[in-house]
Amino acid sequence: MLVLSRKINQSIMVGDNVRIVVVAVDRDQVKLGIEAPRDIPVHRSEIYEEIQRTNQSAAASPVPTEKLEAGKATLQPRKPSKKGNPDH
Amino acid sequence: MSAAMETTPATTTVELPRFGSFTYAEEEVFSFPWGLPGFPALRHWLALTLPTQPNFVWLQSLDDLKVAIPTCDPYMVFEKYDPKLPAYAVAALEIADPGEFTLLCVMVATAEAEEMTMNLMAPIVVNLRTRQARQVMLENSGYSMKESVPRKASGGEAVGEAAKASTPQ
Repeated sequence: MLVLSRKINQSIMVGDNVRIVVVAVDRDQVKLGIEAPRDIPVHRSEIYEEIQRTNQSAAASPVPTEKLEAGKATLQPRKPSKKGNPDH
Repeated sequence: MSAAMETTPATTTVELPRFGSFTYAEEEVFSFPWGLPGFPALRHWLALTLPTQPNFVWLQSLDDLKVAIPTCDPYMVFEKYDPKLPAYAVAALEIADPGEFTLLCVMVATAEAEEMTMNLMAPIVVNLRTRQARQVMLENSGYSMKESVPRKASGGEAVGEAAKASTPQ
């Protein structure tokens, strides 16, 4: 792992498009600002790890033991609604 | 449905450990270009249903046939579920029209299927036009990763009124 020392308001570039700024330091807590392109998700690691675990638990879900003929699922579009629209 | 259909170059038959033999066409495959958290290498999935569980959509991996994940259309259970999609998902999936996407939420069952939970915090967004999908995280949305699903709603029966009432927030 690359380890860099930074002071408040100094930043680190990750690639050409991601900038991480040290906003504040208070004892054992560091506040970071992250500037990233819109298509790059930024999340706290522990939440991402919890989703990984949830997906893995889901994959271990029991299925009916008898062999059933699986069919193709039909996915219905979400009805357009004012509040649920994607954020353009 | 005849299982012994002629296999043309456009269709593939796979032997699924959970569901048996299944034939699909290339254009029925959903692509997860970013993988799925926990399964980063699995990029190609089918959406299947079982006759006894019409409310479930099983995502079946084509890259690792052992992997299948039960999901559910969240609106069937939580009518008022109304997440704001993060900008990165809208951009990455090229969603131009709200009518062209749908959401699937991952279901987790205990061994005896006594209890089921639905991950409302991280729905899988599916662009039905491009068939590309991505699981997104709705941090600070107030939605739970383990929202309890009333049993009635998770089985083959119609979604119960009680289920509709328990909407987060």
